[in-house]
Amino acid sequence: MDPITFSIIRHRLFRVVEEAVITLKHVSGSAITNEGHDLMVSLYRADGSLLMGGVGFLHHLTSAAEACKAVIRRFSGRIEEGDVYLLNDPYTAALHTSDIYLIAPIHHEGRLVAWSACFVHVYDIGAMNPGGFSPESPDIYTEGFSSPGIRLVERGVLRQDVFDTLLNMVRSPEMVALDLRSMIACNNVAKDRMLALIHKYGVATVDEACAELIGQSERLLRKRLGELPDGTWRSRQFMDVKGEVHRVELAMTKAGDSLVFDFTGSSPQSRHAINCTQWASLGGLFAPLFPLLCYDITWNEGVIKPITMIAPEGTVVNCRRPAPVSVATVGAIQSVNNAACATIGKMLSASELYADEATAVWHANHFAIFMFGRNQRGGQSIGILTETFAGAGGARSFADGIDVGGEIPNPISRMANVETMEAAFPIRYLFRRRMIDSGGPGRHRGGAGCELAITPHDAPDGGLHYVVSGKGAEFPMSDGLNGGYPGAPNSYIWVHQDEAGGDNRDARFAKALDELPGRKEPVTWGVFPLMGKDALYVRWNGGGGYGDPLEREPARVAADVHANLVSAEAAQAVYGVVLQADGRVDEGATAERRKTLRRGRLLTEAAE
Amino acid sequence: MSRRLSEGLVQEDGRVRCRACGHDLAQAGTPWKAAARLVERPMKGAGGKAYSAGAAVRLRQFCCPNCGALLDTETALAGDPFLDDVVGA
Repeated sequence: MDPITFSIIRHRLFRVVEEAVITLKHVSGSAITNEGHDLMVSLYRADGSLLMGGVGFLHHLTSAAEACKAVIRRFSGRIEEGDVYLLNDPYTAALHTSDIYLIAPIHHEGRLVAWSACFVHVYDIGAMNPGGFSPESPDIYTEGFSSPGIRLVERGVLRQDVFDTLLNMVRSPEMVALDLRSMIACNNVAKDRMLALIHKYGVATVDEACAELIGQSERLLRKRLGELPDGTWRSRQFMDVKGEVHRVELAMTKAGDSLVFDFTGSSPQSRHAINCTQWASLGGLFAPLFPLLCYDITWNEGVIKPITMIAPEGTVVNCRRPAPVSVATVGAIQSVNNAACATIGKMLSASELYADEATAVWHANHFAIFMFGRNQRGGQSIGILTETFAGAGGARSFADGIDVGGEIPNPISRMANVETMEAAFPIRYLFRRRMIDSGGPGRHRGGAGCELAITPHDAPDGGLHYVVSGKGAEFPMSDGLNGGYPGAPNSYIWVHQDEAGGDNRDARFAKALDELPGRKEPVTWGVFPLMGKDALYVRWNGGGGYGDPLEREPARVAADVHANLVSAEAAQAVYGVVLQADGRVDEGATAERRKTLRRGRLLTEAAE
Repeated sequence: MSRRLSEGLVQEDGRVRCRACGHDLAQAGTPWKAAARLVERPMKGAGGKAYSAGAAVRLRQFCCPNCGALLDTETALAGDPFLDDVVGA
């Protein structure tokens, strides 16, 4: 078709999605949506295949395609103009119950021509634990409301009985109602803009452009894969829950113009809710694939065609019903993200042409703490500490990872201001800052993560409670690349005021965990109180490093020490950089130190 | 003719070699880590105080046995097989 018209339609499709995302953020009242950007909007073809993937959490792009297809199967012959369908069953297509898909058919002159689909992590879903992540749930039955597909809006009219039934099963129904209405509004905007496009160019032209767009993406990705070397690259991720270690094992093989992700060897499904279903794993591997291999290719069905996934049934990456999955998005799915990011990074690094596109693993472990309780205004607050979305960049071949730099699976993730969180919850921040020695050492350093501490403040019930699903406190998960170290692992500490007699509320000038009075107890999984004078300390992981730390420019190490991003001890022990009393590099001592460290490597045994 | 395999490895004359010193590690298209020096240490404290990992978690560093260049790292538990990457010959 005419390349100018094709290009205009392609860019209009981008704008359709972008405007729908803006709508979603503006209508939703949840910080997780409008501050953390835990959301997604995409367009789909009439058969449910992905047409235009939007931003937000990218592991939803393929899962929502499956959700469209599931609705098409279930409601075959009964899909009407103006309908909206709700689907959140993980064993049908969703990632976990709290990420609700609302799917709207787009009709033109009575004919189904496309779908709009979006999700937000709703305020609550009625699981055992508030907020959606439900670490105490032993099965899917206790993870809240779950639908394999239900009509929420019929011919443009909200089905109030269905709406009220859903709201009757959740905490804070007024907030969940706002979440649902934000998604209805989002799909309405997507539909209006899509129809405006069709009215301008004609349905046949738009349809032809959409088909060509998918064909173009497939051709471009296959061409790129053809330019990359053949090979097999491996990665391994660990998740620890209450002393039980689970693995995600990945062997990624590239041959010609296709790519196979094989998760054989991953752990059997867990009794803990870190599992994910096959659709979630598929989404999990595409989340890094879209931005790392298709940064200049439209994210649609054409990208999916060259990719094959092998995920053995009954494992953490393809669990059987009724295994619990509420923590999947920060559990097995995120580990699939990380493993795929690591293997794609290695493949890119094996190519002269694409080496500078390679990255170590970014922010690999969401801490995903949901707080709940009566707030300072007497109402109920449920919500996430949005710092979990702040992330940390992985290092690249040409630059350090970006400190607190987000994450690969969600290009628009971010955290709220401290003041926003203090307004939403009866808490006070004692500190929130970049964490020393958290970025993985390397010739290029991984981006730093952060640490924070909060205490109850002005809480009518003396404090609140929080849900923590903290797998990965034992294992670093942001792998390094080409000799770079992994980023430091997460940490969650309950600082008790009790017998130590300290008062964390008065520790307003505390600058670090060590300065907080009280007994310190690591917590990782379950529901815990944050009451009275206690404090909660959280540290999140840094990004993976790139290359040999002994090759990092000494002046950059000194600058990191000056900025409190690397300790003087680590500078000497890991980077081999010796600093003078004034903070400047001692060139002679550094050269000698690095020689000693290199020599030490040669004194070890052969690996075999 | 030299071909890149990673930041620290190249393929030359049908062999996998250290990019820094040319040391021969393995036949092209086969795993090379068994020929490297393995520095294995507790992950706890490996990168500084923030590395509060579990006692059983190990940081593996695979180094060139000739020049000591650091070629790759892995997070592992004792007994885990190496993550053997193989770039096609």
